[in-house]
Amino acid sequence: MLEVDSITTRYGAITALHDASLEVHQGELVALVGPNGAGKTTLLNTVAGLLRPATGSVRFDGNDITGSDPARLVRAGLALVPEHRRIFKDLTVEENLRLGGSTASPGDRRARLDEAAELFPVLRSKWTTSAGFLSGGEAQQLAVARALMSNPRLLLLDEPTLGLAPTMVDVVFDLLQRLREQGRTLLVVEQNATRALGLADRGYLLRTGRIIATGTGAELAADTSLFESFIGGEA
Amino acid sequence: MGGFNAGLLRFTRSTLASAALVAIVAALAMAYTSGGGASRDSLIAEMLSNFILVLGLQVFIGNTGVLSFGHMAFAQIAAYATAVVGIPLAAKAKSLPDIPFGLESIHYGPLGATLFAVLVTVIIGGIFGIAVSRASGLAPTMITLAALYVVEQLVKNWKELTRGAGGLSGIPRLEGNGWLWASAFLALVIAHFFQETRIGRFAIATREDELAAPALGIRLFSSRWAAWTVSMGLIALGGSLRAQSLGSVNPKQFTLDSGILILVMLVVGGMRSISGAVLGTVLITAGNELFRQLGDPQRLNIERFPDLFLGGTMLLVMLLRPGGLLGDRDLAGWLRRRMYRRPPPSGETPQQGVNTLIATDIEVRFGGFVALDGAGLTVRPGEVVGLIGPNGAGKTTLFNVITGIVHEQVGRVTLGEHDLSDTKPVEIARTGLARTFQNLRLFKNLSVRENVALTALVAARHRPNRVRPDADTLLDDAGLTEWADRQAGTLDYGNQRRLELARAAALAPDFLLLDEPTSGMSDQESLAMVESVRSVAARVGAGVLVIDHDLGFITRISDHIVVLNEGRVLAEGTPGEVRSNPLVAAAYLGSSA
Amino acid sequence: MTKLIQTIVDGLGVGSTYALLALGISLIFGVMHLVNFAHGELITVGAYTSYFFFLHGGSWWWMPLVIIGSAVLASVATELIAFRWVRNSSPFTLLLTSFALERLSHAVWQIAVSPKQRAFPKPAWVFNQFKIASVSFEVMDVVTIAVTALTLALTAVVFKRTLFGISVRGAAEDFDAARLMGVRANRVISGAFAFAGFLAGVAATLILMRSPAAEPSMGSDWLLKAVIAAVIGGLGSFSGAVVGGLVLGLLETLTRAYLPEVAVGWDKYSTAIVFVLIAIFFVVRPDGIFKVSHAERV
Repeated sequence: MLEVDSITTRYGAITALHDASLEVHQGELVALVGPNGAGKTTLLNTVAGLLRPATGSVRFDGNDITGSDPARLVRAGLALVPEHRRIFKDLTVEENLRLGGSTASPGDRRARLDEAAELFPVLRSKWTTSAGFLSGGEAQQLAVARALMSNPRLLLLDEPTLGLAPTMVDVVFDLLQRLREQGRTLLVVEQNATRALGLADRGYLLRTGRIIATGTGAELAADTSLFESFIGGEA
Repeated sequence: MGGFNAGLLRFTRSTLASAALVAIVAALAMAYTSGGGASRDSLIAEMLSNFILVLGLQVFIGNTGVLSFGHMAFAQIAAYATAVVGIPLAAKAKSLPDIPFGLESIHYGPLGATLFAVLVTVIIGGIFGIAVSRASGLAPTMITLAALYVVEQLVKNWKELTRGAGGLSGIPRLEGNGWLWASAFLALVIAHFFQETRIGRFAIATREDELAAPALGIRLFSSRWAAWTVSMGLIALGGSLRAQSLGSVNPKQFTLDSGILILVMLVVGGMRSISGAVLGTVLITAGNELFRQLGDPQRLNIERFPDLFLGGTMLLVMLLRPGGLLGDRDLAGWLRRRMYRRPPPSGETPQQGVNTLIATDIEVRFGGFVALDGAGLTVRPGEVVGLIGPNGAGKTTLFNVITGIVHEQVGRVTLGEHDLSDTKPVEIARTGLARTFQNLRLFKNLSVRENVALTALVAARHRPNRVRPDADTLLDDAGLTEWADRQAGTLDYGNQRRLELARAAALAPDFLLLDEPTSGMSDQESLAMVESVRSVAARVGAGVLVIDHDLGFITRISDHIVVLNEGRVLAEGTPGEVRSNPLVAAAYLGSSA
Repeated sequence: MTKLIQTIVDGLGVGSTYALLALGISLIFGVMHLVNFAHGELITVGAYTSYFFFLHGGSWWWMPLVIIGSAVLASVATELIAFRWVRNSSPFTLLLTSFALERLSHAVWQIAVSPKQRAFPKPAWVFNQFKIASVSFEVMDVVTIAVTALTLALTAVVFKRTLFGISVRGAAEDFDAARLMGVRANRVISGAFAFAGFLAGVAATLILMRSPAAEPSMGSDWLLKAVIAAVIGGLGSFSGAVVGGLVLGLLETLTRAYLPEVAVGWDKYSTAIVFVLIAIFFVVRPDGIFKVSHAERV
């Protein structure tokens, strides 16, 4: 479904991603783990069209989408829940969701609003509250719910548990599980590496902008070099 | 004292650059006026007074990056000040019978009237500048706009002093353009020399980065105000001479429109460059005249044709070359680089600081979110301490508390006997902490050497008791010597990081605070960074506190590591101890609950 | 008391025109960090358009639509011709670009029509007066306040209820996040320019009904006041722009009306005093009444 073929992405003089390749198949949950600053967010942002790679290509459903406008990708069925959630704090919960469904027809949008209210009871009780007043966990659920409004076939999530209390982390992992059961394809960047790999079908390990290991979730989680890669191997 | 000689050198350089520019313009002017006609002379006169006004604007806008619409208000004040003391007493008694402040018996010659006008304008403008320099964002621009309205209304209505809408005439006119040429030259020397002074360099630093400058001990207010006040002096000179070359003043002479003409001249040539200001003045004056003649009734017969030229030129420059035609190219800058001689090495051995940096029990909340919950750390003189922790652990917040960007609700930060709690970044930098920024905040349009030398100027003033290596020595240590004359923004990423390090060290701090110095670097580059940090820190005898995600780098460089998690210190010790601590592994990988 | 009420009605009349213009400026600033100095030129466009229509037998019955239409088109055109190409430049460059457009507009009208004023008829009822409980009002004051109130209410509905409005508000807060929702950058920015043009068109209609004449630089004075109002309110804040506009209008009329009573002979300095107050305000609160925190992020 998604093929990332040896992309290199730079921010000005910084090369944040070197020659990285990965694949996500229909119905899979793929985890992308690695230490901070490894280039995980850069990879997701490049796939979602926020960044344009210097070299390499990204294909979605067989179509070349390298450097496409994010607005186009949403219409094609690819949505990103960005790092730090980036919900619209000045907008109400409902308005956030409506904006998330901006590409849908008015009828679909209304139907999905109802679905979201059902799927996220926490949000329903805060429907007309400014999103700026939500707690971290509520905000994260809103960010996911907002991305789901475009009914994406592939959902990219960037650090969905960052800054959440442990009980809320559980809620988010349950949510990931449920989304998979709905048949959505997921690519998740997660700091909680062990747990993410436990849930994932497959995983990729990223370090200093390069993919250094790949395998099934269990294989990667069992790999003793995982921690070494976080700590930085003794050269 | 080398200070006097260095000052003399700077002055000579400014004079040289000014002389060269004046010579070029004079050659052009002579070629033009040799065609004959008094109207050509008066065009040159107009250009020269514009020239002085443009330089006045350049000193403020060009050096501080703050846009002003209101400079013409002060040219207006100067023009009227010239008139009220310059008009002969008999004529004045007739046109201004009720003139206040005892001005009815005061009369000065051209020089006296000019000086009087400059003095009055600098005083009024200087007071007004306090408001301009204190404000931030768009507010200063709005305040200058307000000045324009206020002065306009005063001039129109304070009839005892200004005779209202009709204006004042009978100011003794200047003979020929000699005075104007001399004043233009003087204005050029002042504008050039201001850029060479410490306060001028500081103003440029604030233009380049409003956040980095205070973090390196440069106060926004004083440098902006100085630039404003000097620019008032030049604007006053221009306004006064304009009045004396026309022989009259009226409220329509210095409106927003005329201010915009001056602004276009500056922006088209390149506001950061004095040579650009000169080029812009010549080009726009010539273009304006050309279009005026083309629009003449005998030719195309288009009234106001020059206005089309002005708007069109400005739009094209903004769309195609927003930095102006010359950008940062500047004759004086070129001279500065050409005449640069590396000072002999001082041979002083670096002395280690005596102060210890201590943060204790720091608590910070953002709304309901607890970012720091009793974290603390100690860095002893000369020691290298690494600060690590998973995302969201509070590392950056702790860093921001120490550097004065975030204020702690509970706890204390001290450096030796200085209490740094509730202290502004400027003061903290001057007390002895120099920082780098995670997302690089270099003075991008300045050369590599200037970046470092600028901070060294702060050290010369505020860190007098420390050994202060010269810029080139620090560039050597950081491995940047071969790029010393390059524009900082054009360096590759690793070198930009190294430059930020050298720039911070030039402050001769007790401690260097490095925020993710290797982020975005390859393993090899970060290995090289270990060496750069060590040699630069050793050169100034500074200790180091460093945040980084690359634990390989942290392990290699640190004497001591502090691990934060959820706003608290999870573990600390030598690199070996921290690596083998199971709590650290759990914090990084997340518990598999 | 009578005088106070009349002064306040006057102030609200002027202030609501400022508010409409300031709202457009704040809106554009929100989506692309541009302080649009060309915004006042939309009034000029509306004025010349109605001048041309009146030359061929125009009527005030449908002229407002023409004025608003021309302002919308002109606003969208400035974005297409100029601002789109400097969209990612520094705010300084953006501001100077708008400034250049303002200058060009002046020049074009001067050359194409005349530097002199061109007058056209005004609606017959404009300066009619009526009385409520011994306080007399001008019809136009009431019309101005009513039309502004309606326009602001419509604006509120658009920004609260429609997808377009929500997109603009979202984009003003976090442009990239809005793109991730499928919002097209070009479309939301063009839309914001169109809406700002609509607001300027309404303002222009109100201004032209009162003083029906076209002049090349007529937009500049309004523009400067509107920019000041927008900055007083806090650039990027929509309610701030409205409050800023009303405050500025009231301040102007109140000083003009009451200054002579407070200090004899000072009435001629009323504008100067207002601007001194504004300067002091900016020193105390450089970010305006409603500080917009996310405006600084880029």
